[in-house]
Amino acid sequence: MKIDRRSFIKSAAATSAVATATSLFPGISFASWKQLEGATGMIRWEKAPCRFCGTGCGVLVGVSGDRAVAVKGDPACSVNKGLCCVKGYHSVQALYGKDRLTKAQVRKNGKMVEVPIQEALDIIAAKMKETIDKHGKDSVAMYGSGQWTIPDGYVASKLFKGCIGTNNVEANARLCMASAVTGFLTSFGVDEPMGCYEDIDYANVFITWGNNMAEMHPVLFSRMLAQRKRRNDVTIIDFATRTTRTSQASDKSILFKPQTDLAVANAICYEIIRNDWVNWDFVNKHVSFHKGKTNIGYGLEDKFKFKDKAEGIDFEQFKTFLKDYTPEKVEKMSGVPARDIRYLASLYGDPTKKVTSFWCMGMNQHTRGTWINNLVYNIHLLVGKISTPGNSPFSLTGQPSACGTVREVGTLTHKLPHGVVMKPKARELAEKIWELPAGSIDPKPTYHTVAMFRALDRGDIRFMWIQVTNPMVTMPKLKRYRDGALKEDRFIVVSDVYPTPTTDVADVILPAAMWVEQEGMFGNSERRTQHFDEIVPPPGEAMSDTWQIIEVARRLGFEKQFPWSQEEYIGKIWEEYRRFHDSPKHNMAPYKVLKARSGVQWPFVNGKETRWRFNAKHDPACTSGEDFHFYGKKDNRAWIWARPYEPAAESPDQEYNFWLNTGRVIEHWHTGSMTRRVPVLHNAMPSAYVEINPEDAADMGIVNGEMIKIISRRGEVTMPASINGRGVPTRGQVFVPFFDEKYLINEVTLDAFCPISKQPDYKKCAVKLEKA
Amino acid sequence: MNRSERNTSRIKLGFAAFCLSWVLLALPAVAADNIPYGFDSGGEKIFTRYNETPFSAMSGTDGRRNLNSFYELRQYPGSPPRIPHKVFPSFSGEQADCIACHGRGGYDVEQDTYVPVTPHPENELCYQCHVPKLTDELFVGTNWLSIPPPKLGNSQLGGSPPPIPHSLQLRGDCIACHTGSGAVAGIRVDHGSRGNCRQCHVEFLATEPALEFTRNK
Ligand code: SF4
Repeated sequence: MKIDRRSFIKSAAATSAVATATSLFPGISFASWKQLEGATGMIRWEKAPCRFCGTGCGVLVGVSGDRAVAVKGDPACSVNKGLCCVKGYHSVQALYGKDRLTKAQVRKNGKMVEVPIQEALDIIAAKMKETIDKHGKDSVAMYGSGQWTIPDGYVASKLFKGCIGTNNVEANARLCMASAVTGFLTSFGVDEPMGCYEDIDYANVFITWGNNMAEMHPVLFSRMLAQRKRRNDVTIIDFATRTTRTSQASDKSILFKPQTDLAVANAICYEIIRNDWVNWDFVNKHVSFHKGKTNIGYGLEDKFKFKDKAEGIDFEQFKTFLKDYTPEKVEKMSGVPARDIRYLASLYGDPTKKVTSFWCMGMNQHTRGTWINNLVYNIHLLVGKISTPGNSPFSLTGQPSACGTVREVGTLTHKLPHGVVMKPKARELAEKIWELPAGSIDPKPTYHTVAMFRALDRGDIRFMWIQVTNPMVTMPKLKRYRDGALKEDRFIVVSDVYPTPTTDVADVILPAAMWVEQEGMFGNSERRTQHFDEIVPPPGEAMSDTWQIIEVARRLGFEKQFPWSQEEYIGKIWEEYRRFHDSPKHNMAPYKVLKARSGVQWPFVNGKETRWRFNAKHDPACTSGEDFHFYGKKDNRAWIWARPYEPAAESPDQEYNFWLNTGRVIEHWHTGSMTRRVPVLHNAMPSAYVEINPEDAADMGIVNGEMIKIISRRGEVTMPASINGRGVPTRGQVFVPFFDEKYLINEVTLDAFCPISKQPDYKKCAVKLEKA
Repeated sequence: MNRSERNTSRIKLGFAAFCLSWVLLALPAVAADNIPYGFDSGGEKIFTRYNETPFSAMSGTDGRRNLNSFYELRQYPGSPPRIPHKVFPSFSGEQADCIACHGRGGYDVEQDTYVPVTPHPENELCYQCHVPKLTDELFVGTNWLSIPPPKLGNSQLGGSPPPIPHSLQLRGDCIACHTGSGAVAGIRVDHGSRGNCRQCHVEFLATEPALEFTRNK
């Protein structure tokens, strides 16, 4: 080998440096991770949205050969500007758990056996056909997820709603965002936030409503903290039922009793009116007042039905309605001191301050979820703090594509990619784009998620295909739905990447491509659509969820609706889907643009993204000639709703004397099926626990780590106590994170839901504690 | 400095070393008896403190923070390191004010070591990226593989300043990681006082291919 002088010196210098280092520390091999054999050390960086939360951070995935080997934040993505959270930084490790599903499995004589994936797809198609023939089209169902890519959800809707003609399509986003959707629809007539994350750069006051952002949307929370550091006019208020990392980092923490956020929001409006902080110019031009039904129930019984009815009222009637919510009265209900209520009202009311409210599951997983969403909009509307930079009522999303796939594509029983199934025009448009005969789409919605699992239990649904979600951990009142899924003559198909309690009940398991092992798009909380390429190949026979559905659709005889080749199907699907949103209110960016950028916001009109909707300066869909145009509603106004306080479905009593609240922790994504396979995340948060208030613990003589039985009217679960741990619940309340399949807290929770959104309340039910 | 000056300074340095070695030998004997308290500005206290601090700790080469332990805390080159010590259980609030120690560094009595300094103190939400280890067990095994960390040195010519092998994203404060007793000995520089690091060291990322210059005709 010929070595020239220059490279000799170079390599000599390198070896000597390493030699020096190793001689200083003998016996040391550098780096603890196993090294990719033959790796050059070179990395190719490819853009993608993060796999996990609805923040939708841009990441750059480092690829060596055909393996993902590193991650960094994408500096070109305006969401996170190069910073991630611990889940994002380790996200690629979730691809490489040892028990990754790489082969299809089919239950034969009670045992799961591996089969070629094509055979499994044959079985699925045959079973679907047989079930439809025997029990009718509404006996087959698809249950997907806000972690579906947009094409996943789109082909699911096309196959089930269009081709088969059943509205049995739901997604776990029903458990997570449904109240946000009905909140938007009832207040504004169109879904998804008017503002965007840039609001953080302008707001002076941030109020987090029942929202532990420091753990659940950490990158946005750190953007807030950075603003507070940079400018001296930023205040962060945490309004919650439990002391969390968010409370600790905020300027003031205000605690309220579960469910009384309804009363406090009304009291804030009461104070705003009493002090005449109302922005009359805005209210007179852009707001109308309404009331709906009251005593609306909790959906605990099978086949529960509810339909709200809006009735116009005037400002005076609204003012009269608020008389029940003076700060003093509300202090008694909520435990929030009247002066704190006045303080909150003064922040919203101060015309010199820009206010952003953030919320997520605390308000959505609420038996009055639609109402509390309405009530926070009421506050912003009364003072006209909306749709302008920094003034933003902002509903955050939990999942990476709850907005993109479930809300925009409409993978819910009543929805279509544009409009609802009940509307003839919406059905006609879908039938036209899908090239289906008129009348193919059923005008009647069938089951929302809880009702769908109840129907499975009853036997009205016999076949269910579950993709990218883990309902056998996440359904409330879990036992009923697990028993239902296991009944004779139920056929469950599960597409997933790892074994879970849901694959445990499956008759067929399909190995799925995960995240960047397929091409796709997500849509985050701020109307941003984010494209990613297939960056690394899927393992074994794993296949994208989209392609699995296409394979089955073709077997069912719908080749015409699913004609695309595997090379270009994602681009083709996107361009077809885009036709549904062909208006300045919702235009989506073309495929080419999505591919090139780190996320593009819709409405994307004439090559421009819309950052603030309803604001004539920013939104090309505004046509009224005024500063603002709330074009979603027929009266071109945003609606303020008189919504009262009503109690939770189940409150603590003599016997079941504690509130149970459930939620997430920063390390784990949902049920942990991915993040628990990431060493750093599992090592940091290996097991669930029940947080107990230190005084309650002292009363009961409970010490940290002691095993405690949590019992409700539905079931029980035993897990270690955590006192003064990650969070501290108020007295009379306990909190349990739901990521741990070993401690299934949903055995205990209640399947009560908001009658308008049909979203269950995972934050409130009654339990008692016993030493185990 | 001309040649004669340089020689003089060498001689001075040699003399100083000579004296110091005598002091080292002599002091323990001298310090023993009959020295009035407070003599020589409390010289005894100063000496005892010096005497009790192991050489390795003073020079930052106690082997506790070396490149191996540095990468041991990471999953791939550039990943946020885990927290190798205990943190308050809630890992939030005052007791866990990470910046109190990691903002400026210095000797930490509790851990008996010098504290590494964060290169990005402007990010206050430390637990957003850094987490402790509560267990060594895994939920299930992993097939994770990554690439080797960048090699040290990499000077293009013998003795030329080595290029910066890692990206500067979140790691743009050279002084934080490459100087002071908290720095990993293998990557610590002895000329931190020179200031403007990038006057001599430029980015040449170990993970990016070398670019060939081509004329744009
Ligand atoms: S904040 Fe959410 S989107 Fe961003 S890196 Fe963390 S998990 Fe991913």
